[in-house]
Amino acid sequence: MADLTLDHVSKFFDDGGSKVVAVDDASVTIEDGEFLVLVGPSGCGKSTTLRMIAGLETVSEGEIRLGDDRMDNRPPRDRDIAMVFQSYALYPHMTVRGNMRFGLEESTDMGDADIDELVEETSSMLGIADLLDRKPGELSGGQQQRVALGRAIVRDPEVFLMDEPLSNLDAKLRSQMRTELQRLQEDLGVTTVYVTHDQTEAMTMGDRIAILNDGELQQVATPLEAYHRPANRFVAGFIGEPSMNFFEMDVQGDELVGDAFSYELSAKSAEAVEGSERVTLGIRPEDVEVIDDAAADHAYETTVDVVEPMGNENAVYLELGGERRFVATVGGMRRVEAGESVVARIPEDAVHLFDATTGETLQNRSLESADLDAPEANL
Amino acid sequence: MSVRDDLAERVGVDLEAIDPLRVALYATLVGLVVFYLSPLESGLMTALKTEAEFATSPPFVPPTVEGFTLEPFGVAIDTLSSAILNSIMLAVPATVLSALFGSFAAYGLTNFEWRGQLGVVALFIAGIFIPYQAVLIPLSRLWAIVDTQELLAPLLDITVFSAQVPVLGTVELATHPHYASIINLIITHTAYGIPITTLLFRGYYKKLSTEMLEAARLDGAGAFTVYRRIVLPLSMPMFAVTLIYQFTQVWNDLLFALIIIPSGSGPAAVATIALNELTGGIIQTFNTQMAGAFVAALPTLLVYVLFGDKFAKGVAGGT
Repeated sequence: MADLTLDHVSKFFDDGGSKVVAVDDASVTIEDGEFLVLVGPSGCGKSTTLRMIAGLETVSEGEIRLGDDRMDNRPPRDRDIAMVFQSYALYPHMTVRGNMRFGLEESTDMGDADIDELVEETSSMLGIADLLDRKPGELSGGQQQRVALGRAIVRDPEVFLMDEPLSNLDAKLRSQMRTELQRLQEDLGVTTVYVTHDQTEAMTMGDRIAILNDGELQQVATPLEAYHRPANRFVAGFIGEPSMNFFEMDVQGDELVGDAFSYELSAKSAEAVEGSERVTLGIRPEDVEVIDDAAADHAYETTVDVVEPMGNENAVYLELGGERRFVATVGGMRRVEAGESVVARIPEDAVHLFDATTGETLQNRSLESADLDAPEANL
Repeated sequence: MSVRDDLAERVGVDLEAIDPLRVALYATLVGLVVFYLSPLESGLMTALKTEAEFATSPPFVPPTVEGFTLEPFGVAIDTLSSAILNSIMLAVPATVLSALFGSFAAYGLTNFEWRGQLGVVALFIAGIFIPYQAVLIPLSRLWAIVDTQELLAPLLDITVFSAQVPVLGTVELATHPHYASIINLIITHTAYGIPITTLLFRGYYKKLSTEMLEAARLDGAGAFTVYRRIVLPLSMPMFAVTLIYQFTQVWNDLLFALIIIPSGSGPAAVATIALNELTGGIIQTFNTQMAGAFVAALPTLLVYVLFGDKFAKGVAGGT
């Protein structure tokens, strides 16, 4: 077992003479046994990255290493990698047993009896032992998903690659499989790279998440770090649901002036934005306080536009200065009506500041670092 | 109670519910069945009649007891049996080879990426549209230059299989020297079959899941293993389509056979050529001709019966 390293990996495609950059200089080291989630919007290069690790795409520049062994020039079969595909990619003419045996028959010298034993063992671990003699066409989506997992697990590879494996399942099954997959990966301790566009999966499953946009790696961090200390505006906006509210503002001394409102900065924040002319102020919906006291600092008179009740909380869309809409989440039991006037407070300790041109983070919200350590207990 | 209602009650059918469109549809279908089957029926009836009976009754009317005879079939089988064996020795290898090579070519042209691929595909497609007539002279020149009989001399004149079969007499599968010209015909038909079979398989292989083939590669299978264990088993319906199509093509071909088999007949004659011998001279013996046509058509019919359900699947695009 060893670390999986992507060392300045790039992928270019030739599109009718012009060069398209799919992955741009991505470097990340995935530690032995780690669960890394590659997340990003569609077309961000996450699947291409995964396919390069698998050997299904060539690497245009850079190196991929497993431990100290360079593997980007090896064919897929020599990489000791197993992959779970979005479509499951089961062999339709073979039984579940045949599907699970195939990899062992092709890539190992194991005898028939050993293969059978391993297949039986793995299938009972996944709860599909009674399906072994059925064909994929006779199985439900969830069962096919398990067979696809079983086919990967039975090979006991160095690395698991998973390409949106849960996206074809219905919502309930998906959350169930999410937990199960996580537990399975923990038990097996196999290094895993998991691609998804679903940020819930990214937040809940990964030891670390790598956020990609336009082929560029934006940040590699623990889920909570990415959530609370985003490296840039893209990460801040991509992680979190409903997503962070952003306001474009001009820096005028120690005050930020926007279309709808002005925001006074403390000395510390003012120092952080020094040198920038225009910044983006970001605030997470749950950090916007809906209060009664209009005299409080950083409090603004707003009108409620729409209320989306979620049960546990309400997403309240607020209008500021007639136009600017932003979201605040309040407790589910709190009654807020559309059309109502409320006071929204944007507390300074929860405010993120980004450079408006580069998107780089100038200052993240203040946070006790202990808060970020908390999830370690769950790893 | 009107007569109509009374009738409806007696036959237990609600006449109101009978849709005139449906009646017209069934009538049309019955008409089509009659249209397509009447030549066959007439042929069969003719083949079962004596010549005297044939002269006195319309062709589609079944023979009377006195006019019934199996003799035309006996004559036809006697005349055609060795030619039919030749045809089988021609059609089976030619069909299997062109289907297999077409499948290989399609796999290489569809499931792999390489430079100049589309140009090669274009050549294959062009191959489909070459008319047989355009290549007759080059073909006869080619087989005049290539002496298969001499090349394969050590392999010819070996008896592979010999047995006594009722009705047919001695059935012998042997590589007679004359088999060389059948080998020429096999090679020719295989070559001419490959473009169309390739195209048929290519359409089929394009629909195979790329992820599935990638999964097999990650599972450790090389290109040939992927073909043997994944692609080949999945292409059985398409094999049924190409086998039926090619078998019919090769079996029914007369043009290439006339060109490639020397002097048009002799021991190497295939069924289509031998059928010509039943035509008789000045007096037309329609009953033996019809019987011969049935005997010659039987193998293609058998192939349809054997592979029919797979054929339907392949045409419907199922896997």
